[in-house]
Amino acid sequence: MKNFEPVIVAFCCHYCAYTAADMAGSQRLPYPANVKIVRVPCSGKVDALHIVKAFEKGADGVYVAGCLEGDCHFKSGNTKAARRVEYVRKYMEEIGIEPERLEMVYLSAGMGYRFAEVATTITEKIRELGPSPIKSATAGQTGQVAC
Amino acid sequence: MQKSKTLPSSDKVLVIGGGLGGIRTALDLAEAEKNVILVDKDHNIGGLMTQLDRTFPTNNCDLCTISPNLSESGRQKHIELAALTTVTAVSGEKGNFTATLKTAPRYINLEKCTACGDCYQAFPDCVRFTPGLDHRAPTCMRYPQATPQAYSIDLEKCEDVEALVKICPAGAIEPDDIGRNREVKCGSVVLATGAELFDPSHLDYLDYATKADVVTSLEYERILSASGPTQGKLLRPSNNKQPKKIAWIQCIGSRGIQKGAGSHCSSACCMFALKEAMVTKERFQEDIETTIFYMDMRTFGKDYELYYQRAKNDFGIRFIHSRPHSILQPEGKDDLELSYTLEGDANKITENFDMVVLATGFKVGDDTKALMETMGLELNDENFPRTTGFNPVVTSKPGIYTCGTLQEPKDIPETMVQASAAACMAAKDIATTPKEEKDMVALIPERDVSGEDAKVGVFICDCGENIGAVADVDKLVDYAAKLPGVAVAQAKGHGCSRESMEQIQQTIIDEGINRVVIGGCSPRTHEAKFQELIRRAGLNKYLLEMANIRDQSTWVHGAKPVKATAKSQELIQMAVAGAIASKPLSEHSLPMNKDVLVVGGGVTGMTSALELAEQGFKVYLAEKSNNLGGVAKQLRKTLEGDDIQQFVTELIDQVMAHKLIEVITGAIIVDHNGMPGMFSTGMQVGKQMFYRQINHGVTIMATGAQPNRPEEYLLDSHDNVSTQIELQTMLEEQPDAIKRWENVVMIQCVGSRNADNPNCSRICCQNAVKNALRLAEINPDTRIFVLYRDMRTYGFQEEYYQKARAKGVIFVRYEMEEPPQVQAAGEKLEISFNDPILGMELKVKADHLCLSTGLIADKDSTEELAMTFKLQRTHDGYFLEDHVKLRPVDLAMPGFYVAGTAHSPKSIRESLVQARAAASRAQTMLVQDSINLGAASARVDSDKCASCLICVRACPFDVPFINAEGYSEIDPAQCHGCGLCASECPAKAIQLMQFEDDRILAKLEKLFDGLEAEA
Repeated sequence: MKNFEPVIVAFCCHYCAYTAADMAGSQRLPYPANVKIVRVPCSGKVDALHIVKAFEKGADGVYVAGCLEGDCHFKSGNTKAARRVEYVRKYMEEIGIEPERLEMVYLSAGMGYRFAEVATTITEKIRELGPSPIKSATAGQTGQVAC
Repeated sequence: MQKSKTLPSSDKVLVIGGGLGGIRTALDLAEAEKNVILVDKDHNIGGLMTQLDRTFPTNNCDLCTISPNLSESGRQKHIELAALTTVTAVSGEKGNFTATLKTAPRYINLEKCTACGDCYQAFPDCVRFTPGLDHRAPTCMRYPQATPQAYSIDLEKCEDVEALVKICPAGAIEPDDIGRNREVKCGSVVLATGAELFDPSHLDYLDYATKADVVTSLEYERILSASGPTQGKLLRPSNNKQPKKIAWIQCIGSRGIQKGAGSHCSSACCMFALKEAMVTKERFQEDIETTIFYMDMRTFGKDYELYYQRAKNDFGIRFIHSRPHSILQPEGKDDLELSYTLEGDANKITENFDMVVLATGFKVGDDTKALMETMGLELNDENFPRTTGFNPVVTSKPGIYTCGTLQEPKDIPETMVQASAAACMAAKDIATTPKEEKDMVALIPERDVSGEDAKVGVFICDCGENIGAVADVDKLVDYAAKLPGVAVAQAKGHGCSRESMEQIQQTIIDEGINRVVIGGCSPRTHEAKFQELIRRAGLNKYLLEMANIRDQSTWVHGAKPVKATAKSQELIQMAVAGAIASKPLSEHSLPMNKDVLVVGGGVTGMTSALELAEQGFKVYLAEKSNNLGGVAKQLRKTLEGDDIQQFVTELIDQVMAHKLIEVITGAIIVDHNGMPGMFSTGMQVGKQMFYRQINHGVTIMATGAQPNRPEEYLLDSHDNVSTQIELQTMLEEQPDAIKRWENVVMIQCVGSRNADNPNCSRICCQNAVKNALRLAEINPDTRIFVLYRDMRTYGFQEEYYQKARAKGVIFVRYEMEEPPQVQAAGEKLEISFNDPILGMELKVKADHLCLSTGLIADKDSTEELAMTFKLQRTHDGYFLEDHVKLRPVDLAMPGFYVAGTAHSPKSIRESLVQARAAASRAQTMLVQDSINLGAASARVDSDKCASCLICVRACPFDVPFINAEGYSEIDPAQCHGCGLCASECPAKAIQLMQFEDDRILAKLEKLFDGLEAEA
């Protein structure tokens, strides 16, 4: 698919990842506009339901970004999030969606560079994977063309 | 800013210095409803810590931990912040000082500056202030989260003032600014200017002045820092290549080693170097070698010894006990040649390194010295202010207090503790602001929006060029206006300017708007401001959503304006969906019980109780034993020579006599319930074990630690073996017997820094020095051997250590693997040990063997208390504070504070500082009439709850429980608002307010609607 622009949803925890995104902003570090951030109080708040919904609605990639390991503002939210991400990845594999479309990442609030780097590598990876099979399927049903 | 606020005459505290200490003091005072003027000579507050990369012992990033403190400080209504301001004179006396403040011109109007950064973008070299690594820029904001959020300009460095003025979209640059001088009245003064770092430029053998790869530890920190000159890349300043081998040299400018060095130990540098080496190893693993050249590793703080062991064992950092002789760089070579010798070996070793980091220590700055002299303070030989023995924050002048590194070199947690203690003292000299003044702004009643269809008002900022120059704001406004549910969409220029805020407020009222979206910057920095705004317009403050189109779009997609506009549309669309799904929320509050329970009747508990009682609070002082006084009753004198017995006796008398203190001895705590501000604790009291219940709002844990008594080196089986405490008693009571001693041996680290008790007991080195000096005084001919692993006489204690060496006390180092051997030899003792300098074994027949046994947590008692009060403990049984760096007095459970040796081993002086800090922290809560618990808590829908216990297990704070009716209950007063329970609940019976599932899903849904619309 030529000129494929993936849509990527990034669930970012308020204390670290969202702050890192702000840091990337204040340092003017470019990353692809494909990444859209949803703020959550803690990465552990991200429900399997939210992840699945994002894919269902047409996301090509999703990542959950929490604090560095051991630094979670709520003690264990990021490790719980990682476990949930792992669980959803298995489920995705079962239903025939590449699990690489979903990732857990860890960032400290000061890591503006890392935020931009992660956003870029994930976008590139998803771009290579191509459009999400769900999107193609649902687009087919409704007669729309993805992007 | 608070420019129009008029503070009543002397009812305020002047805090000089806006570093971490000054900020903590100001915040404690402000939270206790005392007025404060916080002055700092710099453009932004934050001090030294904002220049650090990460901090020990957590190796966390600093900006993240400090920035909440800074913005808090900017917002507090009791704090007047005066940046770029110095104090030139202070006259008057306690309760009525007059201070002259001189404010330098900033050339930027704080009211207008939005910190957009256009000025520094236009002057490319600007912004970063990195000591020693680049020049000071013409416009400067020291770090991204600076408070005040504004730049400042060095006009002399600017060549084209007119161009600079023009570049500012907000018109905030004012080249005619001339600054101002003024006089302020205050009741007390806290000096928190901190210390400066030693400048090693004149030490030619280190060649710091000419070799780019020889840097100070702070410069190394800047190199590691993500906001530093290399953006966090570790590069050699000389050639921009990654170094392979780095050496740290300790004690530069400390312990009287070099020309111009202070005689004190700077206390923080060992940990500082360990941290830098560890962070380096963490990042480059096998690619880099790190070596620390040290004299004594002084890792004496709470759990610091474990950190040291981790550095050595897990990170493979190399430690060399040596003071390097010189650093040379042969002609034409890149490498630095470091030469040193090892103990017991006179041969010079030469080793090459890529970089050398000098661990520079603290000294008092000339400005501060001049200020203290103006104020008439007595200074010690090193120009630090002289302070009182049992209250180290009190200077020689009544009403003037000090804290942090200016009082004595120290690290961040101890600075935080002292800063709170200084607040406790300073608060006593001023009156509390009358309550009526507090809520002068009458708010219009909150409008009930239930049942109304959504009428969203979307206000989009251009933030000067920040948004406007990239995204098409008009297009965004047109787009927003067409979204379902949107009643009004407007461009608002700088939405956070006062003018725009007033317009938005009026529009909300006039148009009957019931949901608000701000398209602009980050909710992290501006949500509170806009929440207050919509509340002023009669809306519940939770009916707001922010679309962060600046930080997440125009700033990062500046080169792609079409994409930036499209993404901004999506972000706005998501925010509108979120706003429509938002519900009015009420914040939970509870009435505050203003009584205090202090657990532990030692010197720490008594001091906390007395400070709070003097501020008018009723205090229950519960002590397990039948007497007050604790361990201090066994002690005689401090290292500095202060009489402990006299102090304890007087303190007990004061406590017993105080009307507001009720002492309950023989009290064993048996139960505890309630919530912060409304606790109730049950105890069994006295011989009859009568049950008694105390209601209180806050609790201070001051349960202390125990003198350790390990079964080692014939302790308790030979008459001439004692602990340091016992020796001190003998020194006082039977000096004649002691006079006959020919040889005395002391062994350090007995029962500490070993497998059973891995931490350092902190107090033993100073006690050994203290007793050795007294022994030498009684009989100068007695030969005294101190067998030690590292002499940890930190801060000013170093002077006593030097004195002991000068008096002929023999200090011999031993390794843990090769401890001294002790055998009974009749009345005497035969001690054999290895002398590393002579490289041979020595045998000493001693009249007396004294063991430095240190302190140990009373594990049984702290375990029970921890279970009853639901508190966390460290692995070795001390209470674990909420944040080891920034909240060393607060426990994780709100309303609980810890002080003294219940926190970690420490001296009496240090315990008393923390006792006052706990009193100060407690007051910040006690002044409130009710406790606002916020609105972001989890709620359970009992109809859906299947009582499966998943939430009970998921909660990191053990809040949910299954109630009598059989469903999960979450106490909003205890909920931290993380939402873990909500995401784990299989029945979706739990919703986290503000982040409800339907709100998150609505955002996702609208994001993709928007994308389809574009396609």
